[in-house]
Amino acid sequence: MTLLETINLKKSFGENVVVNDVSFNVDDGEVVSLVGPNGAGKTSLVNLLSAYLTPDHGQILFKGRDITSLSVSERIKIGIARSFQIANLFDELSALDNISLSISARSGKTYTFLSLADRDTGVQNEAGNILSLFGLDDKSNIPAKELAQGERKLLDVAVAYALKPSFLFLDEPTSGVSTRDKAKIMDTISSAVRNEGVTAAIIEHDMDIVFKYSDRIVVIADGRIIADGPPENIRDDKDVISVIMGSQGNEV
Amino acid sequence: MDIFILQVLNALFYASILYLIASGFTLIFGVMGIANMAHGSFYAVGAFVTAWSLGFLQSRGVEPWLLVFFLPLGAIAVAILGMLIEPILLRPFYQRAHEYQLLLTFGVLLIIEDGIQMIFGSDPLLVDMVIAPFGSLQIFSFRYPNYNFVVIGTGLVTAFLLWALMYRSRFGVVLRATSQDMRMASAMGINVGKVYVLAFGIGSFLAGLGGAIIVPTQTAVVGMGLEALIIAFVVVAVGGIGSQLGALIGALLVALVRTAGVHFVPEIELAVLFLIAVGVLLWRPTGLLGNAP
Repeated sequence: MTLLETINLKKSFGENVVVNDVSFNVDDGEVVSLVGPNGAGKTSLVNLLSAYLTPDHGQILFKGRDITSLSVSERIKIGIARSFQIANLFDELSALDNISLSISARSGKTYTFLSLADRDTGVQNEAGNILSLFGLDDKSNIPAKELAQGERKLLDVAVAYALKPSFLFLDEPTSGVSTRDKAKIMDTISSAVRNEGVTAAIIEHDMDIVFKYSDRIVVIADGRIIADGPPENIRDDKDVISVIMGSQGNEV
Repeated sequence: MDIFILQVLNALFYASILYLIASGFTLIFGVMGIANMAHGSFYAVGAFVTAWSLGFLQSRGVEPWLLVFFLPLGAIAVAILGMLIEPILLRPFYQRAHEYQLLLTFGVLLIIEDGIQMIFGSDPLLVDMVIAPFGSLQIFSFRYPNYNFVVIGTGLVTAFLLWALMYRSRFGVVLRATSQDMRMASAMGINVGKVYVLAFGIGSFLAGLGGAIIVPTQTAVVGMGLEALIIAFVVVAVGGIGSQLGALIGALLVALVRTAGVHFVPEIELAVLFLIAVGVLLWRPTGLLGNAP
């Protein structure tokens, strides 16, 4: 079943067309990777889909409903969440509070003065479970600003995950993380997402990771989709690989 | 020895009032980034509403010991006033430069000061009848009114409750998140408008509470809000603006310095206070517990 669909989506900044007539679908439960050279328009596309940008033209459908005019928070409410290339966290808040904030925002429990956070076991337990799912259970009381780069990226994904989205966008979840930790982070994210049946679209540069973790790969160049298919098809398509490799041959 | 204990108690009493005013000011600044010039006037409104209400109730034959329970009326009135002012007057100005917010809240100050005169008249109001039912405590050679311990206790309990609200309640997490990054909190689905009204209401309530509990010991007079505003500025500047612990420590420090100043060098007690504040700011420009901006 199609969960998300875009129809002729277009966005330009002045003369510069960053997303050019993009139409594609993502099925329920799929894990899709968005790949392409730097500046191809991947992040702009995700920004359009998560309402951080407004399209000049085109439509976005979610579960068959037109959501093009919905705001970021309205899209979160209907189940679309995202993580960021540069982890977007409440730095002064502990890891646990960052997660529990997501949970209370989701469930509308934000104004209960009298529920002491420590004793609000429903939220607290769920936040603890999510932290351990992402292997951050020993960091729960540490302020986000004191976490290591890789931990911040994971926490950012965990915060988005805690919103219980049915569709999760991950913008370079492993960028800025050592090669050694990349696989660990992707294993963690992938199992969390697949266990809950969350549909995910991941922007990723590391092609080893892309081939290993995705059900489907969408290749974007100059704002257009130039290839779309299962990993084995993309891997064998020499032309497409050379476009992707164009700017980052060393990573393939 | 007697004098020393008396002065320490007086300092704690004064610190409690200062803390109530400064904690509200610093809470509002921390969450909304607004330096509310009308905050001292909120304190004055708290004093006047409580004084007027208790006087009214007494004239209707309510017993003095019962009147005590109506002391918080001033604080509640100010909280309501704040929760009206924030969405109606302040909200349209958040996107503007700080100068606009200062002008706006200064305008609110002027309106409130005149409003007080219009509603309550220019005569000072005194409601010292609630002190007697509490009795007093013999400490060595002097008797100290127990009501003053109520004021000191109110400051301590408020400090604890505010800490619990900020760091132990669900709303506190939301409040801290919103004060750090309003846009991100809003994107997450948090109703920032509601958080702002509540935060402004709590901050206003604290100032009103300060006025409400001091008015049995001091008359409510026109202009009391201005002095409160200036001293509250000193407290938050010394403690570090936006920091609740800073407001507590700043209030204690300012109260001790001022009490000692009044005792030893009454002619220049305010000068001593400001000199010490300047000293602290030269040493730590962001205040004792303030973060670098």
